[in-house]
Amino acid sequence: METQSEEQAAAEAADSRGEGEPPQVAGPQAARPEDRMALLLRVRAQTKQQLLEYKSMVDANEEKTPEQIMQEKQIEAKIEELEKEIEEAKIAFEMKKLALDSVLMDNMKQILSLNKSVMKSQQETRDLEDKLLDVRKKRLQLKQASERKLLEIQTEKNKQKDDLGSMENSGKIKTIQQNLEMEIQITTVIQHVFQNLILGSKANWAEDSALKETVLQLEKNLTMIQ
Amino acid sequence: MSVLRPLDKLPGLNTATILLVGTEDALLQQLAEAMLKEDCTSELKVHLAKSLPLPSNVNRPRIDLIVFVVNLHSKHSLRNVEESLHHVDATFFLGKVSFLATGAGQESHCSIHRNTVMKLAHTYRSPLLFCDLEIEDFRAAMAQRLVRMLQICAGHVPSVSALNLLSLLQSSENPSLEDL
Repeated sequence: METQSEEQAAAEAADSRGEGEPPQVAGPQAARPEDRMALLLRVRAQTKQQLLEYKSMVDANEEKTPEQIMQEKQIEAKIEELEKEIEEAKIAFEMKKLALDSVLMDNMKQILSLNKSVMKSQQETRDLEDKLLDVRKKRLQLKQASERKLLEIQTEKNKQKDDLGSMENSGKIKTIQQNLEMEIQITTVIQHVFQNLILGSKANWAEDSALKETVLQLEKNLTMIQ
Repeated sequence: MSVLRPLDKLPGLNTATILLVGTEDALLQQLAEAMLKEDCTSELKVHLAKSLPLPSNVNRPRIDLIVFVVNLHSKHSLRNVEESLHHVDATFFLGKVSFLATGAGQESHCSIHRNTVMKLAHTYRSPLLFCDLEIEDFRAAMAQRLVRMLQICAGHVPSVSALNLLSLLQSSENPSLEDL
């Protein structure tokens, strides 16, 4: 009375599961290592669980079944007795778990309070860092402003120098300079003429103070005035 | 093999296999599809069979959960299930077998009394689930429930075993049966 629908259904089942898989694989490939880790961890937990099951089956098979044929009512009574034992074992286990959990609760509470204080101090650190950042920004701005000012001063100075230079190159100053030079030359010539006059007269100019002063004044080099 | 044993094959990694036994092909097919649509972290494999024994020439993985589907409208399905039960090893009944009764919504068509199925489940110490497999919402809910049961029976849920689940499911049923 076996049907071929069983194999068909199995194939279909495998297919529909297979169809479900490629979309998962084609999905975000960056998440694959995490998926694989999760899969490995799950498989590990499953293997542990199944090992436990096999162990318990081995233990169960070691139990001797009663060989005598008991009446059905007695069998029922025995089954219920065994079920009650299982229930009691479970309840004892749950109580132990509760007792352990209360101890764990204290640790958890401590951990929570520590976490809170850690978060608070981290918040404070962040605020201080923000303030530091603001101060640094202001300093940078001031530096930039002073840089600009100095640049302005420099350009002003350069402009002045250029102006001066350009002024000097203008023709007016040149003519004035030339006139000045000529005047100086003329005065120098006059100086030499007077000097030679006084010397040529063979008078003793060192005795007379007024004559001495005149001669010494004539020695003044006028080109230095420029 | 003529008798299904729960632990005679090695389990597949991250795989869970369920075997649905029942005479109603369409319902079983729909239930299987609903189960496969469920979001499950392990791979699901659903096998359908009209009755046991299964042919031994097919290479099938280890079966983690057997669900016997009984249609309350037909006595034939109940007889079929009763006969198939002989081909299941006793160790399977430690939480890896479940009964599913469908069609309880339409009282007028029911030829099998509810208590018959309940007594059957009680004899085999297995949980009995009621569900109208023809209504899609109930079917989806039942599929979800079966997927969770299957995960536990396959050992994929840490700290809960099939026996554990069995004793959890039984405590609610016994008081009603004592009224019988």
